[in-house]
Amino acid sequence: MTYEAVQLSLPGFDQADRQWGYDYSRQMGKDRVVKNRSGIEIRPLYTPRDWAGERYLEGLGFPGQYPFTRGIYATMYRGRTWTQRQLIGLGTPEDYNQRVRRILDAGATAISLIPCNSGFRGIDCDEVDPVLLGTCGTVVNTTEHMDTALAGVPLGAISTAMNDPSPFTLLAFTLGVAKRRGVPWTSITGTSNQSDYLSHFIANHMFYRLSLPGSRRVLLDHIEFCRKNVPNWNPVSIVGQHMQQAGATPAETMGFTLSTAMQYAQDCVERGMDIDFVLRRFTFFFDISISFFEEVAKFRAGRRIWARLARERLGAKNPASWRFKFHAQTSGVDLTEQQPLNNIARVAVQAMAGIMGGLQSMHTDAYDEAIATPTEETARIAIATQNILREEAHLCDVIDPLGGSYFVETLTNQMEAEIEEVIAKIDDAGGMYKAADAGLVQTMIGQSALAFQEQIESGDQKVIGVNCYQIDESAHRRKPTERPDIERMQEHVARFKAYKDGRSQADVDRALHALARASNSQHENIYERVVLAAESGVTHGEIVRCLRKELGFGHPLALA
Amino acid sequence: MECGGPSAEILHRRITPLTGRAAIIGFTGPPGVGKSTLIDAYIGALRARGHTVAVAAVDPSSPISGGAILGDRVRMQRHTGDPGVFIRSVASRGHLGGLSESIHRIVDVMDAAGRDFVIVETVGTGQSEIEIVEIADVCVVVNAPNSGDDVQAIKAGVLEIADVLVVNKADLPLADRTAKQLSSMLKLRRENQDVPVIETVATQETGIDSLRSAIESRIGRSADEKVQRRARRMRRLIAQRAGRMVRDLVLHSAGEEMDALVQAASAGEVDLAAAVRRALKTVL
Amino acid sequence: MTARTLFPPPRVLVTKIGLDGHDRGSRIVAAYLRDAGMEVIYTPPWQTISHVVKLALEEDVDVIGVSSLATDHLIVPGLLTELRKAGLGHIGLLVGGIVPEDERAALLHAGVSAIFGPGSSREQIVDHVAALAAKAREVLNSHL
Repeated sequence: MTYEAVQLSLPGFDQADRQWGYDYSRQMGKDRVVKNRSGIEIRPLYTPRDWAGERYLEGLGFPGQYPFTRGIYATMYRGRTWTQRQLIGLGTPEDYNQRVRRILDAGATAISLIPCNSGFRGIDCDEVDPVLLGTCGTVVNTTEHMDTALAGVPLGAISTAMNDPSPFTLLAFTLGVAKRRGVPWTSITGTSNQSDYLSHFIANHMFYRLSLPGSRRVLLDHIEFCRKNVPNWNPVSIVGQHMQQAGATPAETMGFTLSTAMQYAQDCVERGMDIDFVLRRFTFFFDISISFFEEVAKFRAGRRIWARLARERLGAKNPASWRFKFHAQTSGVDLTEQQPLNNIARVAVQAMAGIMGGLQSMHTDAYDEAIATPTEETARIAIATQNILREEAHLCDVIDPLGGSYFVETLTNQMEAEIEEVIAKIDDAGGMYKAADAGLVQTMIGQSALAFQEQIESGDQKVIGVNCYQIDESAHRRKPTERPDIERMQEHVARFKAYKDGRSQADVDRALHALARASNSQHENIYERVVLAAESGVTHGEIVRCLRKELGFGHPLALA
Repeated sequence: MECGGPSAEILHRRITPLTGRAAIIGFTGPPGVGKSTLIDAYIGALRARGHTVAVAAVDPSSPISGGAILGDRVRMQRHTGDPGVFIRSVASRGHLGGLSESIHRIVDVMDAAGRDFVIVETVGTGQSEIEIVEIADVCVVVNAPNSGDDVQAIKAGVLEIADVLVVNKADLPLADRTAKQLSSMLKLRRENQDVPVIETVATQETGIDSLRSAIESRIGRSADEKVQRRARRMRRLIAQRAGRMVRDLVLHSAGEEMDALVQAASAGEVDLAAAVRRALKTVL
Repeated sequence: MTARTLFPPPRVLVTKIGLDGHDRGSRIVAAYLRDAGMEVIYTPPWQTISHVVKLALEEDVDVIGVSSLATDHLIVPGLLTELRKAGLGHIGLLVGGIVPEDERAALLHAGVSAIFGPGSSREQIVDHVAALAAKAREVLNSHL
């Protein structure tokens, strides 16, 4: 969908325009071509000639109305601010619990848990050198661990996002804890934040656990299980973050993500699910880079395109299905190790882009994110950044404040065109699943990553402290890195081993046998068996190992 | 042994008596059909029967920089810790003609080291890659269903040398059509039309055992057959080397006789066949 | 002999041990090395130390580049020990990624030749790898 410049009848406009053009060239001398990360040329000035409010209703609409470009709700932040959802994860479950309690005391209404890298790997804490444990996430391998992690946390009252890829054991452990506490599953709210296996296969191998076809099956079972038993949980979060972090341009990222959403929606429909039901519980998860206006345009274009895809291509009837709901995280890839305090400024700018882009919930990085897991202090600054933007800069007072800007509306249209092109390429390849399997997406991302790196190497893209304005860092001694206490971690591992010795092996074997059987049957729900296994005391590593054995542990294409 | 040269030749001669035991299986096919994944599954089947395996995975070097990213072994991760599986990544290094010789030496080292099976994997897009696979006892040509109409990039030479044809990713909708197309193309072959077309889904390990037994049945295990195989392989190698030698001689030979011949052929005074005969007499 | 004229070309293993899985940096470095004429054996993340040793043996590598985030670098000295035990002490080893300042000296002391953080230039990395490869060959040849 392109928009044609309007024939303006403003008297004197052309003359003034020409005058400006002349003055500009004369004073600039040699101008340079500026392109944003998605390859769109950015001119020095935008006027009504570029965009003059034409097709307001079709292209923009009012907030809460199709195509939702200006916002998915009528009130947006003026009614209810975005959710502050900071990701936490470090050390043992006790360590996590301490942090999360402090955050809740400080007024947070939503929490997030990121598991230890060993968890992503699919193994338990007793299978690896303890010095590697708990450095980037919390070690949670059993229902017991989750109970400790969430001690004193009102499970039915706050929303929890679990950063857990397939087979979603963290949710299974949470449901086990809920059962123990008498909290009905119908009151559990939150999101399976990393349910997008295609994005892992393509761009974040660390999160990739089961084979491609295996992941597909487990996701569908997960969606069905949640529909029946945990109806207020969002089982699907489609993730653009990994691809952008791997080097995809913002336009590519949005294109790939929307294509993935369509793939999952189609898979669900083929399973017999109703499209409106399915889309209601789709959420998205994006990175926000520091390319400020580009990100704002990316999100606005994304809302417009998704509304159209949902209504016209997927045939959803309920307006709620057309709403593009997303959580966003400020991009860690833009942060630097050099002069880390500068990252506070970077995060503030990224956060502003996200807010003006209309996100629903946000995580702001701590300034030392590039170096280590955030400390209490740096995590506090990250939250303060959001509070300052809301309370002091008053960014919540106006809905879609950049709407109507000649530049932003033009850029939104241009980003839309780029994104549509990417979607068309994926369509030609037969959809996102096939495109990922064939390595097409990976190749495109690899090329963009290399191109961007080249720009930094050549100095075309300046990064303060890295390729310009450098200082002698050795003069600035940094505090020694905070790490989980190795002795406490070893104790945790020892307790875990003792736990395994103490549980009923018969229960465990039965549960694993049932899980294996479900994997090989056409009609049983694998995720149901995962939840039951968690209740029977089976560990995370045991569950993943069993599923890998039955469903395969494919290897993502290393290089395209 | 990779580098060639006099010490390689000496070493090679010494180990040659130890060779001849291993079955050499060549895998080739266009990029993207899942060769490495298939080989990974095949290795699994071989290991399950207690056989030891070595793999030489060939990837092209960049014609511009001469470097290469050798990523085939990545898809054989399953076997990384297994001492019964030896994997070597080989870059073509630009002179593909020379590659077939160094591959021959590499294969012989693996053979002499006592491996039961030596697998050679290449991308079958060029004549030289086809040459490489020819040195195998059994040539497996791998394909996958295409969204287009024609069987993907089957070069005539590749089909000629296939002992076993595989259609991988057989869970995709067009697999049957691809299999049928291959079968009918086989009928155009001059010799040996007993070539099975096997459908596999490497990622799910379907069809792997059929593949394994099809290959097995074509190896031939008697001492006589082994000697014959070795002789065939050596003849092919001599032919390849001879061809290259003659080519280099003709291209680079200086001297009036050759120059005059070339002139005459260009002017049409001598036909090509006659020119070739005379050139051979001149250089050899 | 200089690295540029090494024959065969330098063989470099680019890998990740430990638990981190982010590989954008190692892919880019692999591309740099290929463009500089080297042969790169590239592995996915989560390799164990024993795998890396077996790989180094099978592939006759000259240099190993370990990409490291979080605490992965803490087990690199262990890798160096195992390489030496396997008779592969001549292989050069460098680390790329983020290593806290106060932990760098220990790595260099254990035998890591250099640590390249984000912001290292392509030229720096390639030249260093080339130098390591030349040195490794020299050591190897002197033993023959």
